[in-house]
Amino acid sequence: MSDKDRPFFVGYLPAPKALRGLLLAVCVLFVSGLAGFGLALGIAQDDPGDGAFRFDYGRQTVTGVVELTPYPLLRVTEGNERIPAGHTLMLAGGGKTNVESRAIPLEGQLAQVSGVLLERGSLDMMQVRGGRNGLQAAEGEVPVFETIPLGRWKLAGEICDGKCLAGAMRPGRGLAHKACANLCLLGKVPPVFVSTQPVDGSEFLLVTGPDGGHLPESAYHYVAQFVSLEGEVERRGDLLVLRMDPKTLEVLD
Amino acid sequence: MNQAEAILMGLRIWGSIGAVVAAIFLTIGMDRIDEDARGAYVFRPLLIPGILVIWPLVLWRWYLYESGRELWARRYDPPRRAHFAVGWVLPIGIGLIILTGLSLRQTWPADIAPVQLSGPAEVSQ
Repeated sequence: MSDKDRPFFVGYLPAPKALRGLLLAVCVLFVSGLAGFGLALGIAQDDPGDGAFRFDYGRQTVTGVVELTPYPLLRVTEGNERIPAGHTLMLAGGGKTNVESRAIPLEGQLAQVSGVLLERGSLDMMQVRGGRNGLQAAEGEVPVFETIPLGRWKLAGEICDGKCLAGAMRPGRGLAHKACANLCLLGKVPPVFVSTQPVDGSEFLLVTGPDGGHLPESAYHYVAQFVSLEGEVERRGDLLVLRMDPKTLEVLD
Repeated sequence: MNQAEAILMGLRIWGSIGAVVAAIFLTIGMDRIDEDARGAYVFRPLLIPGILVIWPLVLWRWYLYESGRELWARRYDPPRRAHFAVGWVLPIGIGLIILTGLSLRQTWPADIAPVQLSGPAEVSQ
């Protein structure tokens, strides 16, 4: 060594006097810098909102008519204090799964549905229990529900997966959530379009393909970005369904 | 092909080449350059994920050993020389990436109102 008196920091020995000031300054700057950086990043993010799984409501069980858009819906005929009769409820399975295989045999029939509610403002969805306890045929007369076409619309907003948006994730929308949203959509979880302004009273619309099929894969690229699109809008109870035209999708500046 | 498909395609190509490199290196190359590994096989599958990711480095190191250009005493010189530069490039790069992301962020187009293009009677369904 050329300079034996030069102070040298060793982690398991007391810090040399000459280095204590520098060490203290580095510690303070490092901790406060990281805290400040974290705070700045947090402030720059959008408010994730108040969507959540409503486990506090307890298990919800309602009866209604199953419709396929092809995403399964329940037009509630016999509700409860949380889910009134006349409400149209979107249905999803646990995790990133759907309940289509259980809903298809019950299409147009009366069914009892049981599960946990997800809720964000006026948007809600039910995560249906597994097996027959979650979705089973019910006895009774099947009422006829009408679907009201509202014409072709041009909308601006964001395509999201309805389950995360309704409260399964926070944030449940935006670029930070894009990969999660696309995995949900691959799992055929009902997609929801968030409109910049209400359409016929609602800013949330269930999105389907142009032919009434599932959301086309070409739309996955546009998920979580602010886009404009055109499509046919129809009303099913208190839920709007948007049959999007993928050829009209455009990312907004 | 959109960006997501291009990224996925790139990863598939990279991983496919890595799989070929892993198959050849673990069955032929390793025995040629590391005498301690000869006759030992159980651990080799554990190296597959790593080779899939850093297969160019594996090929380069294999080449150095095969060609006799490997100088063990100088082995860690390049990473040591790079410490100072990497120490600055990493935090600056991370900061730039975050700033670029924040500056490119879209603004919620709250002022764009829904427009009805045609009424229900004109809908052809």
